[in-house]
Amino acid sequence: MTATLIYSLIGIPWLGALLVWLVGDRRPTAQHALAVISSVLTGCASIYLIFLRQSEPAVNLEMGGAFGTFSFTPDGMGVFLAAVAAVVGSLAVIYSVDYMRGAAQLGRYYAMVLFFIGAMTGLVLTSNLLLMFFFWEITALTSYSLISFYNDDPKAVAGGLKALIITQLGGLGMLAGALVIYGQLGTYDLNVFLARHAEIDPLWLKIAAFGFLAAAAAKSSQFPFHTWLPDAMEAPSPISALIHAATMVNAGVYLLARFYPAFEEVPGWRTAVIVVGAVSALIAGVMALFATDLKRVLAYSTVSQLGYMVYAVGAGGIFASQFHLMSHSVFKALLFLAAGTVIHAVGTRDMRLMGGLGKKMPITQVVFILGALALAGVPLMNGFWSKELILEAGLEHGPMWAYLVMLFTAGLTALYTFRMVWLVFFGEERSHLHAHDATAFMRVSLVLLALGSLTTWLLAGPFARMLATTLPFHHFEFETTWEVVFEVLTAPATLVALTVVALGLLAWWRREQLVGVQKRLAFLRPVAESAFGFDFLNQIIVLITKALAEGLRVTQTGNLNWNIFGIVTALAVILAILAAGV
Amino acid sequence: MVYILIATGLLVCAIQSIRSPRMLHSALWLAGASALTALMLYMLGAPEVAVIELSVGAGLVTVLFVFAINISGEELQLSQHSIPQTLVWIVLFVVITLAGLLSLPALNTPFSGPEQATQLRITLWEDRSLDVLLQILLIFAGILGVLGLLSGHDEKQSEGKDL
Amino acid sequence: MNLNVSSIAFIAIIGLLGIGLYGLLITRNLIKVVVALQVLVKGAMIFVVLAGHLVGDVEIGQSMALTVIVADTIVAVIGLALAVQVRRRFGTLDVKALTTLRR
Repeated sequence: MTATLIYSLIGIPWLGALLVWLVGDRRPTAQHALAVISSVLTGCASIYLIFLRQSEPAVNLEMGGAFGTFSFTPDGMGVFLAAVAAVVGSLAVIYSVDYMRGAAQLGRYYAMVLFFIGAMTGLVLTSNLLLMFFFWEITALTSYSLISFYNDDPKAVAGGLKALIITQLGGLGMLAGALVIYGQLGTYDLNVFLARHAEIDPLWLKIAAFGFLAAAAAKSSQFPFHTWLPDAMEAPSPISALIHAATMVNAGVYLLARFYPAFEEVPGWRTAVIVVGAVSALIAGVMALFATDLKRVLAYSTVSQLGYMVYAVGAGGIFASQFHLMSHSVFKALLFLAAGTVIHAVGTRDMRLMGGLGKKMPITQVVFILGALALAGVPLMNGFWSKELILEAGLEHGPMWAYLVMLFTAGLTALYTFRMVWLVFFGEERSHLHAHDATAFMRVSLVLLALGSLTTWLLAGPFARMLATTLPFHHFEFETTWEVVFEVLTAPATLVALTVVALGLLAWWRREQLVGVQKRLAFLRPVAESAFGFDFLNQIIVLITKALAEGLRVTQTGNLNWNIFGIVTALAVILAILAAGV
Repeated sequence: MVYILIATGLLVCAIQSIRSPRMLHSALWLAGASALTALMLYMLGAPEVAVIELSVGAGLVTVLFVFAINISGEELQLSQHSIPQTLVWIVLFVVITLAGLLSLPALNTPFSGPEQATQLRITLWEDRSLDVLLQILLIFAGILGVLGLLSGHDEKQSEGKDL
Repeated sequence: MNLNVSSIAFIAIIGLLGIGLYGLLITRNLIKVVVALQVLVKGAMIFVVLAGHLVGDVEIGQSMALTVIVADTIVAVIGLALAVQVRRRFGTLDVKALTTLRR
């Protein structure tokens, strides 16, 4: 039964993708229906799989010789992320029925979305490193294809290419790590590696550890790879919600959490992880404060929250990071979808042109505010519990400077969140915009996600138990929801954090009094807008590549005979070398 | 003796298929070459591969060629050679002699004739199952590729750019 | 050298490889390109089977030959589909017509 479920989790979306493409663009209703059915079936299958979790591999395909066994293990972490991917995926597809109504090339859109969902569930369920790399690359490919979906818009194409190049470079780090593990232990199996990681020569273990860290940082858009996610906002909003908030960018955090027991002893690795997480959280928070594009603010806030999760992993709080992952997927997807509704209605992404939309779009306003409260970490929302857990884990096991940075960033988060909400929904109308509220399908997804942000923290206890029983190599401290609640409510750190959040709120409300502070901090604006100088580095790399390509162009005559002549000459050279060496 | 005849026939068919001015004749000479290859494979002790080569190479591929030639129509050669003939001959000579020299030592290993057909091929499929999977995927991809290539009709472009 | 089966097969292989490569270098007609590829691959296929015998592991040689047949048939199929499309769009099967990417 478990094996069938795992096959269907990957197979149903991929089959759906193929069918949507074959049905053709002349029948959009059929395409919409097929996509919704496939994704909802996948969502139900993934939820059912949660109850069938186990720590031994459920599917074992012997592939002989060099490839090992293609195995899939539905353990706690895997089924959780698969459920997130499938459920949020189905909600995003339902939302797309209204959002993409009348769009061209719908088949390509749905096929890529379904292909992505299947690949994501495969990535988190597999316990073979080679298969993990294979699914990793598929998610990168579909993400690129969907970012550049409007492929006659040069900004979209540029954003897609940037995302592709950066995440692929990170993927090389993962491949290097996987090959190192295979070379040392003779197997690609994850659990074997986690059990026997002490047998590997420390130098090779270090190479693997930092390779994986690079791959995770690139995929989750952390420092120093933090420039691709904001530019990926050219994608349609359901894609931003699904891929760039709830699933693909979580793959990096998943990687770090999964391999933590093997790498925690590597000297310098945990510090590097904490530094990456803390720096990303801080600079992304600063950049969000100065941004004027609604989706860019959300993108920066995603980078910042992912920084929190990475920081938690570095400090050893694996449960805290996974719990925050769960909360974040729900409220960030909610925020993106609600933002999509706003953008779809008014036709612009610039927040300076919005304002006073609350009266015209009441439902959207309510769900957006709920999501924003969860993001800022206000009590009772799921974001509050998970963020407090992270801060506590950081206080106990991590360095003090990192804790202070994260605390400050929590205040920053509250500040930019309320700025965003106020600029869009309250105040005077800054320009005359036509606005209508969310339509039927959009409403379904929005309301379901809003309910989720209010309630998912109640699942903390069962979630912790699920992780503890099926992951033999990790350590988890909590057992029930009440324990988590008690821990958070009684720790003094919570009070400190709440004060900082309140300070952030206050700073926005009393911003007129703080004009002096604003003027002195205005020097940060150009720094923030150029992503702290990393955009310039990217430009240089792109220019060098282009110059090289133009220079080498003369060898491409385009004539088939000359191309083959080149191949045959190369063959002659190789044979000559072989003959001389024999 | 039979071997020499088959080998010579094979080479003649191959040369003729390259040199024919008409594409239909090339395809037919290619069918002949496939049939002779199948015969040679049988002589080398691989009957299953020979049968598959016969049906696919001499059957399927030839039908495809005839079909494609029919659709695209005959054409006479009009343009000049791009690469000077001497250059071609030199490079080919170098490649062939080098390849021949490199594989010469292997020629004198004893060959026990065509009775080596084995029944172990059934167990082999379990060892090379990844190969089979990839081949199935390849066939699938080929079918999809041809479907996509031969579709050929444009669709009306509708408004798509949302923010 | 003595005229046993391997040397005859060997001569046939070398001959086929040479003829195939010559065809690829010389021809200007897209369909002839596919024909030359087929000839080349037939040589490779016989070579793989022969190599299986020479190494001693006959099964691997034959299963690889099967893989080669599958792959090369797919290549022929797609190559022919491409040739048909080129004929439709450029009106000619000449290889020189395909240089539009060059500036």
